[in-house]
Amino acid sequence: MRAPTETPVKTPMRGRVALQRTALLVLFILAWWVASLFTPVYVLPGPDRVAQRLWMLATEGDLFGNLFTTLVRVLAGFAVAVVIGVPGGILLGSNRALGAFFEPVLPVMNTVSSAIWAIFAIIWFGLSPLTPIFVVLMTALPLIITNVWQGTQAVNADFVELAHTLRFSRMRTLWKIYVPSILPYFFSGARLAFGFGWRVSLVAETLGASSGVGYRLRQASDLIQTDQVFAWTIAQIVMMVIIEIGILAPLERHLFRWRRDVRT
Amino acid sequence: MTITPAPDVLTAAARHHPVSGSGSPHPHAVSFRHVSKRFPRDGGTFEVLRDVSFDVPAGEVLAVLGPSGSGKSTLLNMAAGLIAPDGGQVMVLGHPTDGNVDWSRLGYMFQDDRLLPWRTALDNVTLALETGRTPKAERRERAQSRLALVGLAEFARSFPHQLSGGMRSRVALARSLVTEPDILLMDEPFSRLDAQTRTTMHEELLRIHDERAMSIVFVTHDVEEAVILADRIVMLSPRPGRLHTELEVTLPHPRLGTKEALELVGELRAAIAGMNADWVI
Repeated sequence: MRAPTETPVKTPMRGRVALQRTALLVLFILAWWVASLFTPVYVLPGPDRVAQRLWMLATEGDLFGNLFTTLVRVLAGFAVAVVIGVPGGILLGSNRALGAFFEPVLPVMNTVSSAIWAIFAIIWFGLSPLTPIFVVLMTALPLIITNVWQGTQAVNADFVELAHTLRFSRMRTLWKIYVPSILPYFFSGARLAFGFGWRVSLVAETLGASSGVGYRLRQASDLIQTDQVFAWTIAQIVMMVIIEIGILAPLERHLFRWRRDVRT
Repeated sequence: MTITPAPDVLTAAARHHPVSGSGSPHPHAVSFRHVSKRFPRDGGTFEVLRDVSFDVPAGEVLAVLGPSGSGKSTLLNMAAGLIAPDGGQVMVLGHPTDGNVDWSRLGYMFQDDRLLPWRTALDNVTLALETGRTPKAERRERAQSRLALVGLAEFARSFPHQLSGGMRSRVALARSLVTEPDILLMDEPFSRLDAQTRTTMHEELLRIHDERAMSIVFVTHDVEEAVILADRIVMLSPRPGRLHTELEVTLPHPRLGTKEALELVGELRAAIAGMNADWVI
């Protein structure tokens, strides 16, 4: 049974978007190929050569191993940021004095470049997996705290009053009213943090790791294997697109299916 | 319209009508005894209620009628145990509100529908049962039957934004009824609906009140709404809120548009005019 205002998914629209995306991709590869005809191969290798290299890395090389290594590090740093950031953001949001006291910390943390975090990490942890994990953590943490904090400010006082009339305990009110109200804010913060985390993890790996996509990127560039640099770049972009389309977007659609669709 | 002083309203409308006990152990669902209340404002205090006393007999629909600033919502929040009076006492089901009242026997309906946007209609109704004791399957079953009672069985899985104002109001009503309360407290619950939907909700509420033994305290500033619904009307005067008139309404239902109801509305409006309050009527 459908509610009167619910609109069915429009498949023709989706088909057109897919067509547009494909056209854009073809156009890009074409431009790349034309440009590569007039440039030396160590400056801009053509798409055919990069595809060949990518295939080699995937079949005989360490493509998936390194993608996996980097992904695990990003997830590890991200997970620690969530474990600290969510209770931290709720605490700062629920206690005004505490929030006012710690308020300057977040913008200051945001101004520190990920390269600086990487250098500190190398000093403290050396060439170890902890280095990229630490850098991801320090980048993701302020984003998650800020968003969760904002989420606590957005909790509707009327809903809290409703919980009072239902005689909900503090824990129950937290769980039934606060958490669902904060969730959209947490989700947008987490998404941002994950994207940032992935990018800075590569920086950290080029500076202070002996494995992972970032390490292999630097290695290829040191050896002037430009086609490999391109291959790794494409591999990591494809992975992020798959995560976005395959996991994050459907998850968001499911979690926030209660929202009124504002697109027209 | 003739302007009649308040005491005449009493003699005109207070026809004797014995209140049936309906087998309830407590003669009064709610009793207000010399209740007064001040709120802090601008460094000083502001008197909201002064020495208000009246009873809500068990099983009756009582309308608290008053302009803004007469403290009618404050009275309701006292009955709900959300606010304590500064002076006097509020008794709910025979117990003082600062004592051991069984709050699960009260339902509360707000001025807005106050539905959680992330929950379906059904899950909004189950919310009132989510205090730990009722198993999940039973919660859903009871919520579903309550949605059916307000005519929304087919919309259980719809989210609030997919429902019309009237439907949302029905979901809120179902939520306040799902705990099977003995007392239903209503704070201008239909004031934001259009006239036609409001009339439908009035009929619905009276039908549900007929089906189960339940006391209703209905706060409103709408004279017509009070006359259509109430067995008893308590009228407050503003700033501070004081008891102006208490009267029983014995007219048969339905009352909308009947000559007697219109007369009573006219009399009450005349009394309000004599009250010299800025009351939109």
